[in-house]
Order: sequence, then C-alpha cells, then structure tokens
Amino acid sequence: MSKEKILNKLSDAVVAGKPDLAKEGAKEALAEKMDALDAINNGLVKGMSIVGDKYAARQVYLPQVLMSAHTMYAGLDILLPAIPKTALASMKKCATAVVEGDVHDIGKNIVKTMLTASGFDVNDLGKDVPIQTIIDTAKNQKLDAIALSTLMTPTMDGMKAAVDGLIENGYRKNVKVCIGGAPTSPAFAKEIGADHRDSNAQDCAAWLKEVF
Amino acid sequence: MAEMSHIERVMAGLTNAKGDRLSTYPIACGVNRKLVNGGVSYRDWAHDPKLYAQAFIEGQKAFDFDFAIGLMDLSVMAGDLGAGVRFDKENTPFVEKTLVNSPEDYEKFKVPDIKKGRSHVILEGTKQFCDVLKTQVITAGFLEGPLLALSQSAGAERLFMDMFTNPSAVHKALKTMTEYDVEMVKGFGKTGCAGLCWDYLWGNYSCLGDKEYNEFEGCKKYAGDLNELTGKEGMALAIHNCADLPHLDTQITAFKPAIYSMAYYPLIPGSPSATETIEKGYCDNCLVGGQIDPQLFIRASVEKITQVTKDLCQEVKTALCKRGLGSRYIIASGCEVPPDLHTKMENIKAVVDTTKQYGIVDW
Repeated sequence: MSKEKILNKLSDAVVAGKPDLAKEGAKEALAEKMDALDAINNGLVKGMSIVGDKYAARQVYLPQVLMSAHTMYAGLDILLPAIPKTALASMKKCATAVVEGDVHDIGKNIVKTMLTASGFDVNDLGKDVPIQTIIDTAKNQKLDAIALSTLMTPTMDGMKAAVDGLIENGYRKNVKVCIGGAPTSPAFAKEIGADHRDSNAQDCAAWLKEVF
Repeated sequence: MAEMSHIERVMAGLTNAKGDRLSTYPIACGVNRKLVNGGVSYRDWAHDPKLYAQAFIEGQKAFDFDFAIGLMDLSVMAGDLGAGVRFDKENTPFVEKTLVNSPEDYEKFKVPDIKKGRSHVILEGTKQFCDVLKTQVITAGFLEGPLLALSQSAGAERLFMDMFTNPSAVHKALKTMTEYDVEMVKGFGKTGCAGLCWDYLWGNYSCLGDKEYNEFEGCKKYAGDLNELTGKEGMALAIHNCADLPHLDTQITAFKPAIYSMAYYPLIPGSPSATETIEKGYCDNCLVGGQIDPQLFIRASVEKITQVTKDLCQEVKTALCKRGLGSRYIIASGCEVPPDLHTKMENIKAVVDTTKQYGIVDW
C-alpha cells in the first residue's frame, strides 16, 4: 500500500471513529517502514484536527469527538514506541490533571487529546490528583506546561495550591499553568497566578503552541 | 402598584399579567444548611429529610425568596442505583465508582426502592418543606432526567462513546432510568409541591446535537412522557439546564415548560445572554430564570454582586419591554449557589434585596 493511502486510512479512521481501522493502518505504516512520526502527524493527528474543526463548527458532537480520540490513541499505542527517543526529546512536555476532590474528566480528556494532536508529549495524571503530585511531577519531569481542570467550586482552591506549590519549589518560572472548567474564569486565573484560562480544548492547545 | 405576595408575583410572571416586580431566586439550596442548628455538614443535610427541609425553611426566613426548589445534588439517583458516591463531609458528593464496564452492564440496572436511600430523603424532605412553604412561595421538587441519571451511573465518557457504538444497550438502560423517574415523579406528586424541575443537562450543543439529544432524551418515550406525567401528577413543568449552549428550541419551544432556568457563559461564542433569550422569543410563553454567575456568591463583594444584579434587572426589563412582556423573568443564579462553606450568605441577600429595589416594573 502506498504511503499516501496509509496516511489517508489513518486520518479517515480517526474521523470516522474506527479504532480497529486505525490499528490496522498503524501496523501497515510500520510494515512499510514509514516514519512513525510522519504517520502520526500526517495521519492520526490530521484526522483529529479535522474532527476538532468540525466540533468547533458544531458539525459533530461529543460522542464523535470521544470516539475519534479513542481511535487516535489506538493508533498511537502502536506508533509511539517506534519513534526514536531523540525525536521525542524535542517535544514540549506537559501534564493534564483534574485536581484533587473532583472526578469530572471529560473536559480534561479532550484537552489531553488536543494537546497530543498538537504535538505535545502529554502525561495525563488523571482525575482527583493530589496537589503535591502535580507540583512534584512538574519539577521532577521538567514539564513545560500543566493544564489543570475542575468542574466543582470547592476544588478550585486546589488550583491555587498547585500554583503556590510551584512557586515554593522554585519551578514556577519554568512551567506554564493553564486552567479550565466551568466555574473558572480568566479573572480567577489571574487571581491565583495561573498563566491562562480557556473555554475549550482547541483554544488551550492553540495558546500553548503559540507560547512555545 | 401595591406589593404582591411571592405567589402572586410569580403567577403574574407565568401568565404575563401585571406584576409588581421581577421575581427572584438565587438557587440557594445546600448552602442553606449553614442556617440550620448553627450549621450542619453537607453529609448530614443530604441524609436527613428534616435537616434537608429545614434548610429551605431557614433560607426562606433569611432571604425572602419567591421560590423554594428542592435541589440536592446530581449523585442522588446514581447512588441509589448502586454507584459508589464519595461523600466528603462538606464537599458536594460525586460519583467515584460507576457501574458500567461493558455493554452488558446497561441491562443490569434495576429501579431502586424509592422509599429508601436519598431518593427517600429528597421526596420526604421536599414534602416537609412544602408543608411549611407552599402557602408562601412557589415550591418545586428537583429531579435528574434519564440521560443525566445514566451518565452519572455509567460515567459520561463511557456513555457518550456507547451512544456511538452500542446505542441499543444505552436505550435499555435509559428505559430503566425513565421507569425510575416515573416512580419519582409519582412520589413528588404526593409532596404537595407546585412544580417539578427537571435537570436535562445534556441538551446542550457542547455535548450533543439535536439528533443525538432527541434520540437519547428529547423524544417522546423519555422526556416527552416524563414531562406529560409531571402535568398529570399535578405539577407545573420546570427545567433547569446550566450547560453552556442549551437546546432552547427543544427544551423551551417544544417541551413548553412553565419555567426554564439557564446560565450564561460570556466567553463562549453563542451562549445566549438574557437579552438574546428574550429577543429570540424564548420568554414569550415561559418564565425564564438566570443568569448570575454562581461564582460571584463566593468571590465577589456585596457591592459587586449588587451592581451585577442591578445591571441584570435593567437589561431584562429593557428587553422585556421591547418584547411587550411584563415581568416574565426570574433574577436568579445560572446554576446552584455553591454549597460551599466559603459562600457569602450576604451576597444571596444582596441579590434578593437588589431585585426588590431595581426589579420594579413600570406599567
């Protein structure tokens, strides 16, 4: 199969939300000795960008976006191990987390997907993440950015605690902190010393790309 | 115009008759537990019908609302269906262990005994506060719609993907959720509440399109039948949807609720402001409520929230006047006033008092 056909297969699989097709395309890419990064960027990520644009234009909705994300990760699981470590080293590293006390993670997962699709090396810390874990991970893994989310009011203070902790451990100047979630606002981001707040995942990824 | 009673005022808003002023209801529910016995924990409040009811009664004494709507939280039904609910002492509880790990699990849901669990607390508690408040204000129960109850029980991400890949399994569970809701509606019908407020959260364009929403909640066999049953059980239909881009054509125009409660997200393109909501005709046949940012009840000064309320009153009155509508709007929070220990009770009072002063309608 030609390189172009494989790339289209990967992209189409993501757009259609067909994980089995993405796995098949990823295996074919490796069998044809294609550059794995090329297969990711011009296949899977291209498809996810199409879905992201359609979601922004309200042409598709959350079920389709989630299936597409699931499909992209199915392909990434096969292709990522084939990328040389030197290529990975140049990627900006970021973490995503829902702060401690909250388990609502759909928004965070979409951010994770869009950051991955934008070329970031994403470490998803998950939901209900202890603040100290966020602070320690940032410094220990030399992260370039952290995206924090919460949908609940009482847990918003955890975002401030994370920023304060990063100041205390001396790593704050090295890392961008973005926040999101319904109760947050740009004013709240400013109040707690975060760098940015966005209403949606695409804008968050776009902002970070611009910053770096 | 002479000052009306709370009920007269709301009835004027509902019927587009001449009302003395805009009605008001900061959606203060769990936060009012701070007024009970010097303050009770969220956990105690949410498990004891007497404490639950007393919070609404004390809230009415303290703030002089036009409504009392019995919202607890969105883990009530999931918890009674068997999901693991994390109950911190003072945080809003939430589901931490969902019940669906495979498509077959959707068939395993059973309608729980509503005489037990928090279904019982909310029904009995609603009855108790209605017994005291129903002659003073418009009372309502509060109930999760079938899709919300299922998303809380199954996990929203899992559910959304299964809508795409296993729709028939999802429908089997939605049938059970609807049966559970039917039991609850009948239960609320015996509490004496004037209305029943449905939370149809997922009818929003950030999550579902018209096609998906109609298939999984908006159609006759789910929301349609439940809305109809609400009326048959003697309660007015109310809907709350605090999501960012609500399906107003479905949830207001087609469902025809008496009252609709919504939020406003100024940073999200397309989120309808109060003026836009009125201008587009959604208040023509419905008493719409909103849209004060709930975070202001924690983070704003009294002066700030007073100004926000004053501005909203002016905005709404201007738009209503242009539309030929009188007092058909409720000055309310876009979502629940955070039931947080740090919520400023004086800000709730400020919203009510400011509406009394600046919500007066000139006829």
